[in-house]
Amino acid sequence: MSLVRPFDKLPTLNSAAILLVGTDERRQQQLAEAILKEKKNFKINIHVATSLPLPAERDHVRPRIDLIAFMINMQSKHSLRNVEASLSHIDANFFLGKVCFLITGVGRMNHCSVEMNAVRKLGNLYCSPVLFCELDSEGIRVATAQRLLRMLQICAGHVPGVSALFFSSLMKSSIDE
Amino acid sequence: MLSLLTMRVKALTAEYNQWQKRSPEIISTNPDVLVALGKEELQKVDHDLEMVLSTVQSKNKKLKEDVKREQQWLDEQQQLVDALDVTHEEMKNQVVQFSEKRALQEMKSKMLKIRAYKEELLSALGEFLEEHFPLPEEDESAKKKKKSPAEEPTVQLRLINRLMSTPHEPYLTINDSFWPPYVELLLRYGIALRHAEDPSRIRLEAFHQ
Repeated sequence: MSLVRPFDKLPTLNSAAILLVGTDERRQQQLAEAILKEKKNFKINIHVATSLPLPAERDHVRPRIDLIAFMINMQSKHSLRNVEASLSHIDANFFLGKVCFLITGVGRMNHCSVEMNAVRKLGNLYCSPVLFCELDSEGIRVATAQRLLRMLQICAGHVPGVSALFFSSLMKSSIDE
Repeated sequence: MLSLLTMRVKALTAEYNQWQKRSPEIISTNPDVLVALGKEELQKVDHDLEMVLSTVQSKNKKLKEDVKREQQWLDEQQQLVDALDVTHEEMKNQVVQFSEKRALQEMKSKMLKIRAYKEELLSALGEFLEEHFPLPEEDESAKKKKKSPAEEPTVQLRLINRLMSTPHEPYLTINDSFWPPYVELLLRYGIALRHAEDPSRIRLEAFHQ
């Protein structure tokens, strides 16, 4: 069982790696494809996992993970619990901006089994931005992919002047207190 | 949570120190290059600021509309509350007054009604008795306590009055003013009973049960 650490590997030149963790593999695939379709000038590695910890065998092959995006589906409590369990397998240094939560399924309020407050508390607790997206719709998927790409650039250090630490303070929604 | 925040503080202070240490490097000494670069930078900034401005303006508009809508709703609710308060006050006043006067008045009216009914019943009884139990002709000097001129009625009514006024002394002493056959009639039908020891006293019996 290996703890994912943010700085234990050397970064590869002009590339970045993002890890998508979530129970819904189909959505993960769709999002990964959308990210790959975006115009970018650096190499991207997208890793997909259903839960952490990652298997230790491939640890040496894996590049340094720059951004971890946890996908939570509001309509299944199982995804939330899975994410909460996986959060304990990450090194604490990741929470300085290299983690974000993607929430899907908020569109149909009567089917939500996860409460909004729980998700917001999770975001507050781990000082990480919470992005709401309906990944079933094409336009929102493309927009989310663009956002994630920009965040990945910043986390990997490709953007001078902005560091991942800024996320938690700059990405607070105006509705939150 | 606290540990995370302390880590953030440390990382942010470290970054802040790094920024403090840096000083801006000169990109190039060629003024044209600098002017072009500066223009490009300013245009980018201008474009970004315009986007920000339009976003903020549209958000502002939406918020204003929301505020107006909520204000309207609040006003309507306030009106409702005021109207309900007025009705509530009126009803409360009514209730308070009535609870004192009403009870008394109701009792009084009930008493009056019952008394009237009693008078009615007694007069009806008197008429009935008058009709069916006529006076024997010789006894005209009998004392008439009630409105009825008959003798039999007097007995009845006297019995009833006795019962009503002195429940602990329901006996009427029979004297010669009562015509014996009527008395016998009453006794035979169980409407009146003789007193156990004194045969000259009779009382009304509850024959309706």
